[in-house]
Amino acid sequence: MQRVYIHALPVRIWHWTNALSCVLLALTGIQIRYIGMINVVPFRIAVMAHNVIGFIIIANFFLWLFYYLTSPKIRNYLPTLHWGRFFQDAMRQSLFYAFGVFKGEPNPHHVSMYHQFNPLQQVTYQIIMLVVLPIQGLTGVLLWNLTGFAGIVDLLGGVRVVDTVHVLIFALFLFFIPFHAYLASMGHTPLADFKAMWTGYEDLEEDERADGAE
Amino acid sequence: MEIDVTKPSSCGGVARRLGAIGAVAAAVALALAWTAKPAAAAAPDAQCLTCHSMPGLEMPLPNGEKLTLTIPTDTFEHSIHSPLGCTGCHTDISLPAHPAAMPVIKSRREFSLKMVQVCQTCHTQQSKEWQTSVHAALIREGNTVAPVCTNCHSPHAVQKGVAEAIDTVPCKICHANIFTAYSGSVHGMLRSGGVTQAPLCFNCHGAHAVRVPSAVQDLKDTCLNCHTDAVQAHSTWLPNVALHFNVVSCPACHVPNAHRRVDLMLYDATSQKVLPQPEGIPEFQSPDGSSMTARPGLDPQTLFNLLRSLNRPGTPDKTVIQGRLEVSTAIEAHQIVPASAAISDCATCHRAGANPFQSVVVSVAGPAGIPIRYGASKDVLTSAFSVPSIGGFYAIGGTRITILDAIAALGLVCGIGFGAGHGGLRIFFWYLRKHTQHTQTKG
Repeated sequence: MQRVYIHALPVRIWHWTNALSCVLLALTGIQIRYIGMINVVPFRIAVMAHNVIGFIIIANFFLWLFYYLTSPKIRNYLPTLHWGRFFQDAMRQSLFYAFGVFKGEPNPHHVSMYHQFNPLQQVTYQIIMLVVLPIQGLTGVLLWNLTGFAGIVDLLGGVRVVDTVHVLIFALFLFFIPFHAYLASMGHTPLADFKAMWTGYEDLEEDERADGAE
Repeated sequence: MEIDVTKPSSCGGVARRLGAIGAVAAAVALALAWTAKPAAAAAPDAQCLTCHSMPGLEMPLPNGEKLTLTIPTDTFEHSIHSPLGCTGCHTDISLPAHPAAMPVIKSRREFSLKMVQVCQTCHTQQSKEWQTSVHAALIREGNTVAPVCTNCHSPHAVQKGVAEAIDTVPCKICHANIFTAYSGSVHGMLRSGGVTQAPLCFNCHGAHAVRVPSAVQDLKDTCLNCHTDAVQAHSTWLPNVALHFNVVSCPACHVPNAHRRVDLMLYDATSQKVLPQPEGIPEFQSPDGSSMTARPGLDPQTLFNLLRSLNRPGTPDKTVIQGRLEVSTAIEAHQIVPASAAISDCATCHRAGANPFQSVVVSVAGPAGIPIRYGASKDVLTSAFSVPSIGGFYAIGGTRITILDAIAALGLVCGIGFGAGHGGLRIFFWYLRKHTQHTQTKG
């Protein structure tokens, strides 16, 4: 085993802030939407917490954006422009998740400082970070001050349209949060990726060393 | 005593009989009459009051009604109209020919409407304001009981300030139930206790330009005229204060025991006014133009189709729906409680099945600006059709769209289910491989 520094401190702070915020936003969102059925905290407190955490995650998003736009680590998110190879790698990764992992085959993707994500992760994270999260943040801000943003809300079709989009993305996160956590358990040990995101260091197996030492 | 203007009897006959008895007797009678009245009565008035002070003096009208002709002398002479004298208003009466030459009065209502013309000769401003009132609008639409000047201001007894006192405010003559509700409210009790800053009817509804607050969009402004710090006071605890003030009427929270409902108003997006009753749409036709809240309500798809119909291609103005939470009746709207007793628990509205969202009406502007309300199914608030049709009204929890709950649940189930299923298979195959390796090793 070789330990390779994969996740820089700003990335780890961003990630865990994001993770905690997402979970808290989901929980407070559930409390707000289902008050009466779930009464863990008063509605007013839940709304206040949801708003505050929402702004934290928005600020966190911009820190993430600034960090990656000014860092060579942005390469992690950029799929290869060789589409044939991209498709081939994506298929290989899909087949690993669908079949290979059950046969005990090694993960076809080898992580490194500038190659942390497999093709499926690259596409998924780009969609999450550049489309889904901004839309969720935008709809959240609009719902936070409907009167102040009345013009934009009307332009988008009204509060129900904005709220429906917000809830649909919330549903997507309800899927994504456990899904993401589960996939993180598919390292060479179930907790390997969690530890790596906490310490910054990834333990590479023998066949991964060549890539990881990049 | 009744006066029939078609027969030369009654008061005129009395006078002639008095004349026949002799001038002395008449002079004595007149002198006695004048002695009994305050000195303020001018000679012509005294002459009128000779007859018109007689108790029970009435005139039968062709429609069967009786027009009271008795003018209590004391009352008249204490009224602010007294200096005008009888002929100041009754300019059409020629004393020598009276009462034989009286024009035919068909009904008391006709007489009151005619006298409005007299009032406005002096009270020009008040008359102009009244013309803009809901009362005047009702009369123009043929209403036969909406009040004119004399219904509120007894013309022979009118005194300064009478209409502004809680004991004598004229509104309660017709709006007795509402006035009773008001009297028990924090406003009514304060006013009764002598707090003149507490509003009486006209403070909110106007004195002559009487309007129905629920028919206009500035209901909250009516309250905020006095409660100038309300926005600030609410902002200390209420999120989205401006939005709440826009879509929740003040009584909806400040009358905690009221039945609440959602009023979905058909609105012209351009003019920002409530639409009049749409023509040619069966759902908005009622035989008598009355409210049809009791009818089976509009269902979500029908409402959606109605909006599409009103906004069909080529229609110049865009119709939208604006929603507002309000109390169900005008009586309830006046039962305002002290602020400390008002609803402040968010869950009253922001939970599934909340009481205010169990009753829904769709309203348009009636002939006099009074809303005409049509019943609607409560499902219009929670159906997926509500997204395009009532996009502007939404209450977290209370009007949440049901199908979105199912989608959210599906998201969570799939997210956890994927991990559980895939992880379970991983464990199963891992165990199988270990077992196979173990068997092979042993073999």
